[in-house]
Amino acid sequence: MRQSMTAVLERNTTFEGEFATEPYEAAWATEARWFVQILSAGSDGEAGLRVVTQISPDGITWCDYDDIEHVATGVGVTSWPVREFGHWLRVRGEVDTAGAAVTARIYLAVKS
Amino acid sequence: MKNDLREAIVAADPRLSRFRPLRRILAHDEFNTGTHGWCELIGNYDGRGDLGTVDDHMRDFRPPQLSACNFFDIGTHGAMSGTYALKLATRPITGHTAVAIRRLTMSGRGKVQIEAYFTFKTEATLGDDASLNTFGDVAWDGNLHPSEAQFGAFTVATDICGDGGLRYHTVARYQNTDLDNRLTRRWMYPTVPEPTPREHFEGKVKLQYGADFTAPNPEDWKAFGEPQELCYNEVPTKVNWHYLRWQLDTEKRRNVELQINDRIMDMSHIPVPPYEESYDSLENLLNFYFSVRTHTSVRNFLFVDSALISVDW
Repeated sequence: MRQSMTAVLERNTTFEGEFATEPYEAAWATEARWFVQILSAGSDGEAGLRVVTQISPDGITWCDYDDIEHVATGVGVTSWPVREFGHWLRVRGEVDTAGAAVTARIYLAVKS
Repeated sequence: MKNDLREAIVAADPRLSRFRPLRRILAHDEFNTGTHGWCELIGNYDGRGDLGTVDDHMRDFRPPQLSACNFFDIGTHGAMSGTYALKLATRPITGHTAVAIRRLTMSGRGKVQIEAYFTFKTEATLGDDASLNTFGDVAWDGNLHPSEAQFGAFTVATDICGDGGLRYHTVARYQNTDLDNRLTRRWMYPTVPEPTPREHFEGKVKLQYGADFTAPNPEDWKAFGEPQELCYNEVPTKVNWHYLRWQLDTEKRRNVELQINDRIMDMSHIPVPPYEESYDSLENLLNFYFSVRTHTSVRNFLFVDSALISVDW
């Protein structure tokens, strides 16, 4: 049976401006999937997050995984897969509306 | 004869012979095959599933990781029993705690023992700033490394309840540095029970993010045994596994003893204060947790290679 794990890297966190999730080590996993669930999308309900997957050889120094910026807008879930990521994963992101606050959960689902 | 045979079988198994289990093994966890139920602890939430109702000091204990002990200098270090160890990692926020909990129940009363092979490290700090060569009382001298003063404390503890809702914790903490980042290298226990979500719900206590959830007031921690230097091994990227064996008695609701490598500390005299009020929904609760707390803005890690929980009932 394959191994799997879901890590909640941000739980009802309110973001303003730029952010990055904590380093997550998952060398054992072949595949991963991000879920960004926006719970509160700013005062007008239309703010969102722009998010980029990042990878690292050591959990300290990071680079972008690809040139895709994932956009999550309004309340709901946005998801994308990642493979061949090496051993460390995180996302960097920013709130897409100046001055807005967005509350979200960020799940990382990994599988061997 | 029966006991000799049992000991011989345990001794012949390299996975078990590194432990000294009591008669009945409840769990034997090596982390090459998953997390074995060691999961993130979180405070309680309301009937609507609103995680905003979770206590601030119990809402961010971080998901455990299955780590190959990968480091910037050598790459993969690996664990003691294979490639992977369970890793608890704090945020780089002073006072932040990471907690992994394992949830069981009791089918008897008597001796309970948890054994583990563990190590503790800080995240390496990289940069050109010469001030990185000094931290707390430690200056880089080719042997001692300032990162050792950046490790706060790790804790092994239980949450136990039974016999009509009588709930208590047993706790052993290795305080590597005090809150002023001075090396103390001592074992400590709290003199009060851990604040609970119900106490917050009832308005008795409200703790801030980063509060020491096991016992928030530093005055409530007392040292036991003699100070003990462990094998941090100089730099933050060398891993030496330490043996831990901690025995309790749930019949007496007491600690028995704590063994760390070659040191055995009598804990039978240490008070184990129960909650004054009884708890529902927790009959025969038997939880174990490991936690790690940073006293600086540097991430602290606790790695567990393997753990074994055994009982004599």
